[in-house]
This record gives sequence, C-alpha cells and structure tokens, in this order.
Amino acid sequence: MPITFHIPGPLRVYCRGSQRIEIKSSPRTLGQAFEALFRECPAVRDRLVTETGQLREHINIFVGTENIRFTGEFATALLPGAEISILPAVSGG
Amino acid sequence: MLGELLGHYRIVSKVGEGGMGVVYRARDQVLERDIAIKVLSSRTVAEKSAKEFLLEEARAASALSHPNICTIHQVGEAGGELYIVMELIEGEPLSRLVAKGSLPVESVLRYGVQVARALAHSHSRNIVHRDLKSANVMVTPEGLVKVLDFGLARRLRSSIFDESARTIDSLGSGSETLVEGTGGVTGTLPYMSPEVLRGEEADHRSDIWGLGVVLYETSSGQLPFRGRTAFETSSAILRELAPPLPSWIPAGLWAIVQRCLSKEPQQRYQRASEVQAALEAVQSASVAAAGSSGEARGPLTIVHRGIRHLAVKDGDVLLLVGTMKGAFVLRAHSERSRWEVAGPYFHGQAIYSLAYDGRGGKHRLWASTSTFWGTFLRSSDDFGKTWTNPQEANVKFPQDCGTSLKNIWQICLGRPTEPETMYCGVEPAALFASHDAGETWSLVRGLFNHPHRPRWMPGNGGLALHTILLDPAKTERMYVAISAGGVYRTEDRGGTWEARNRGIRAEFQPEKYPEFGQCVHKLVLHPARPERLYLQNHGGLYRSDDCGDSWQSISNGVPSDFGFAMLMHPRDPDCVYILPIESGEFRCTPDGRLRVYRTRNSGCSWEPLTRGLPQKGAYETVLRDAMATDGLDPAGIYFGTRSGELFGSIDEGKNWKMILSGLPPVVCVKAVALGEPRPARKSGSGRDAQKGQASAQAKRSADRKKPRRGKR
Repeated sequence: MPITFHIPGPLRVYCRGSQRIEIKSSPRTLGQAFEALFRECPAVRDRLVTETGQLREHINIFVGTENIRFTGEFATALLPGAEISILPAVSGG
Repeated sequence: MLGELLGHYRIVSKVGEGGMGVVYRARDQVLERDIAIKVLSSRTVAEKSAKEFLLEEARAASALSHPNICTIHQVGEAGGELYIVMELIEGEPLSRLVAKGSLPVESVLRYGVQVARALAHSHSRNIVHRDLKSANVMVTPEGLVKVLDFGLARRLRSSIFDESARTIDSLGSGSETLVEGTGGVTGTLPYMSPEVLRGEEADHRSDIWGLGVVLYETSSGQLPFRGRTAFETSSAILRELAPPLPSWIPAGLWAIVQRCLSKEPQQRYQRASEVQAALEAVQSASVAAAGSSGEARGPLTIVHRGIRHLAVKDGDVLLLVGTMKGAFVLRAHSERSRWEVAGPYFHGQAIYSLAYDGRGGKHRLWASTSTFWGTFLRSSDDFGKTWTNPQEANVKFPQDCGTSLKNIWQICLGRPTEPETMYCGVEPAALFASHDAGETWSLVRGLFNHPHRPRWMPGNGGLALHTILLDPAKTERMYVAISAGGVYRTEDRGGTWEARNRGIRAEFQPEKYPEFGQCVHKLVLHPARPERLYLQNHGGLYRSDDCGDSWQSISNGVPSDFGFAMLMHPRDPDCVYILPIESGEFRCTPDGRLRVYRTRNSGCSWEPLTRGLPQKGAYETVLRDAMATDGLDPAGIYFGTRSGELFGSIDEGKNWKMILSGLPPVVCVKAVALGEPRPARKSGSGRDAQKGQASAQAKRSADRKKPRRGKR
C-alpha cells in the first residue's frame, strides 16, 4: 500500500502542483520516504532540511497525527498506507 | 531478419546500424504497438559473464521511467541473439543536428536541461550512463529530448564503440576512439572524462563531464578536446582547458560548461540537478532578456502575477526596498519628484539584502529571500517581472562545516574589473564568493577557519557578517564587519584575515578594548580615499585613517552614538550620514525626533538634518542597510524605517519628503541611477553616476573630491 505525502501550498509549485504525492516503493522509515519524495521533487529537499540534514526549525512533519519530533524524526518507522503531512509551524510575525 | 519474429516482436524495418548491433523497427504482437529493438551483435557480448552483466545492467536501466529517458521495455534472448526492446523514438540524434553547425543558444539550453534532468533521475537510482554523447541524445520533432543507452556501456566489449568513431568523423575531428574491454576504459574518447582515461571507475560525475562536452559541442559545433590522434585527444582531455566558447554564448552558460569540464570530479557540479538548475537560470535570464513574459517556465522562475511592474528606462532612478514581508521597487525620473511603486515581490518573505548589478551591460537585480522554507538568492533581469527560483539553495555551507545557513545579510558586487565576481555575507557569520556572476558560490574558508570564529558571539539580530567592503585601489584587500566579531581585513584576497579593532570599545565585555568581539553595526569607505574607514558601532562612532589598523572616536556632539545605518557621501570622503538611535533597550530615535546627522569634516562635528522629517512622537528605528544614496549630483539620500516609512532627500539631506508609508518593516534600501549621468549641475559634477553602478555604499570610483566645507 503506498504511503502518501500531503504537500502544503508553498511547496506545491515544486511538486507539479500536486496536493498529494504517493510513494509506491514501500519505504520503511520516514527518512526513506523523504528520499523517495526528493527524487521525485528535488527542489523540496533544501526547503525542508538544512545542509546538516536537520528538519528546518519552523516546519513540522506529522505521520498520521504524531509530530515526528517525538517519534524519532526521520528514523520514525512507517506502516504501509501511512499519511505524512508537512506543515509550517505556528510562529512568525 | 525483416519479417521475422524475435520473441513476440515482428521485425518491420531496419532503422540503423552501429557497433553495438542493428536497430530495427518492430511490431509488438501482443500490445500492438511499434517499438525499437536493438539486436546486439555477437562480437558485442563475447563472453558469457559479460552477457550476464549486460543483462543485469539492462534490467536495472529498464527500471528508469522518465520522460527524457528512452524507456527499455524488455531485455531478452532468443536463438542466441541478445536483444533490447525499447521505446521507438521518432527524431534525430543531437550529433546529426550539431553536424550542421552550432545550435541556437535557446536550443542548447532547452536540450541541455532535459539531458540534465535525465541524468538526475538515473543518478538518483544509482545508474551511471558512462557513455553520454550527442549520438546518444535523440531530439523529437517537438523538441523533446530522449537519452539512450543508460548504463549499457559498462560491460560491453570494445567493438560497440565503432559507432562513435563515425560520430567523430562526421564532426571532422579526425580523432579516433580509444576503447578497451570489460573492466577497462569504456566510453567514447572525445567524451571521456579524465578520471576514466586514468583508468578509474566512472561515477555520476563522469556523466556530468559528458554533459559538459555535449553542451560545448552543441554551443560551438566543435568538440572541446580535439587531436589528430587518440593520443593527442587523450592528452588534451587530461591536460588542456577547453577553448572559450563563441562570444554570443551567455557567460552563464560558458561558466556551467567550464564547471562540468573541471578535470577533478570534486570540482564539478556534484549533482546533475545542479546543472539543470544552473541551465534553467541562464534560460530564464535569456528569455527575460529577449522580452518574453516569462510564462510557463516551471517553478524555476517566479512570475509575479497581479502585481504592478515598472517600465524602466535609461536615466531613471530606482529604489530597491527590502522588507520583512517582501521587496518593492520604486522608480522615478531623474528629477526624483514622483515615484511609482512595484511589488510586493516575494510576498511574505523577509528580504535581508538587495543589489543591482549593472556590470558588463547587465541590468540584474539580486535579492536574498528568507522564509520557514530556507534562504535563497534570486535574480531578475527584467526589473522584477520574473525572478529565478533555484531548485537547490545556491548559497549553502559545505557539509563538513556542520552548520547551516540562516540568512544572507549582504550581497556585494565585485570590482568593476571583475564583472563576474560577487560576495555574500551571511548568518552564521561567514563569507561566500562567486566568480561566475552568481551561478555558483563557495565558502571563503580563510575566514571560516579563523581561530577567532568559535568565540564570535551573536547579537540580538544573530551572528551575522553584514558588511563587505572592497578596497578599490588594492585589489587584494577587503574588509568584513561581523556582529559581534568585529572588523576583519584580508590582504590576500580572502586567504588570511586579521582582526582590525584597536580602539573600538566593546561595552558588553569585561575587557573594554578586546582584539575582537566588538559589535560593529556598519562600516563604510570612500573609493577616493580608501585608507579611511568610518564605523558605526554598537555604541560609538569611529574613524580609521590607516585601513583599520587603529580607530579614533568621532562621536562629537551626536544625541546618541548608538545606531545602525551609516552612509558615505558618493563624492565627498569627509561626508558621512548616520541615524542615531537611543542605546539600551529603547532602540528608537532619541526624544521621538527623526533626525539624520551628517558630518562634512570626517567626524569632527555633526549637524542634524531634520527639515521635512517628523520631530514629534516619531519613535523610529532605521536598520543598518536601510539608508542609501543614488550617487547623483546633488546626491539623493533615502532611508526606510521599521515602521514602514520611506523618506528621501534630493538635495543631500537639506530637505526631506516621505516617499511612501504603510510598508512592512524596512530592512534594506538600495538606490540606483540608471544610464548616463544627467547634465552636471556644476563643472565636473555627477561624473560618477555612471551606468550600472549600484549606489548604496558608494561603490563608484569617484576620482575627485568636493572642496571641504567644514573644519578638520
């Protein structure tokens, strides 16, 4: 069962306009899923992670309803059919 | 074989023949479609092991699914014949197109981008082409590129390369191919990378070399490395630089080709997607220059719709205004009485730095944009209608640095004699340089590795390298200002740096005059007297008359010696503008009065300039890069406030007017006078308002001074 990324508005321009992107390669971790996403949509990488591979500070990623900052970040295990949401954090001015 | 069945494919006609085998058009009897079938010659795969390897690699390549890659449907064997079934492509190989001569630049870029996309896709799946050449790039009548034979070169016997010899002959190079068998050198000689010639294993960067050769070939109609014999060609590949491309080729494209053709793989682009992005940036610049609306070029160019743009012409004055929520561009005729506003560009993004580059006949705006989604450097060649939007961050720390970019605080153009050179000052404090007009950037290691760096401390705004100054007289010398690290100077183009802070106070440190660690807010110099520097410190105004070796206080009679902005007069090296702010936690204009202060005697005394500025209840802040001059005569002086007001004076500060209010907080202001200078007000004046000179920090080379009007 493919996993699905929900793409936020500001990133859709780098994902051929898609709101959802399905990854069919059955990644077992979130890191693998993102590598697959970055292969499809290379411009997304530098917009989500820094040069040191850290998730950008004001961006949250949820697997289902769990924020990955509390589940092992990119090592978070994925079940088939997982839904991954990328959301900007509530911050700024 | 015509009419015969190979598996369930009926051979219809012969399409071509090469060393690798014969290509037929065939009919898939099951799916009822036309396909191409390449029947490999028996000499191609002489050994059983080689055949197995070929099958294995062809299977891997068959997993590639990309619009710019010729799809492999099947690899099979029937009656001892090994065959590859692939997508039938109607079109011509690039080698045949280029045999007629060089291609138009637009075609070079259009095809190059597609080849780069194909490579990026295959490399992401660990498949290296190993024999990229113009003969392997098919172009359909619609202009779609299809790259053939991915990964097939690796285990093939030498004879397959017979095909390439013909390609070379058709180009008239007279060269020959050098080939070996399994495990040895593989590829087509004029396209082979130095490392492959040295017998090393090809990797994805060898394909980037091949792409460089194809780009060169399509741009010029010639191969970059030629010789009468294979030995001469190999020698050229290993040791010589490619001759420059014809003059009509954009400098950006030539820079890309040169980087692809770096002898050492680590000096090349490390990913094909980087080449793609760089080509697309040149493409968007070319299209914009040709007057296109910039539509439909994908996400690599932003087209600002529903935004008013400016029609700019020679003689206009532009104000570039960066705010916390986007960039604005204002335009006025040279009398500077009425301003038209365009923008906001980069809606919602913080614009920490803007620049105008008019060197070498360009009209290029630069902007650093910052959001949750990272910091990027963008450029526009049509005064803001379209902007580049890089796939990858163009300024970024190498991985071994263990740090990541937060903001680009300053975009600084190189000297007029180095029109391709640019610098960026960033947070965390570091300097980046580009020598290809901003296409690619590298960290200035000499400063990054300075032993003081771990002890620089961030101020309230972060640890930023915010000011870069180039000595116009001595090209090896430059200065940077870091908050809070102090002033550093190099005498060897950035190789080594020395702290230059003697006499500058650091109120917030136990030792008040340390070697480094000062919180410098702004540093300026005048080209006509480059040994003299002025400095607005976090508390303290200073002047140095010896290139920063020593500093003396010049806080003579200002209401506060704290402030951020400092501006050099475009012609008078004794004249400096500041905008004092109350120190401590208040950080607003003292007494609610918005006052610019000016010295005309190099800091011996300061006079307030207030006519037209609010003098009651004006609790304003003006940031370090938010004051600029247009360099005209009389000089226009402009500044923006954190409350979103933009003020200007067209008589050097005597009278002020509000130009615009209601902006988001203003971070930076740059002013540009475009085109030829206006008629001089008096003899010799205005000479330095030359075409293409950004004004903000008076980068122009004024060669004269006004008479001094104050006491020293």
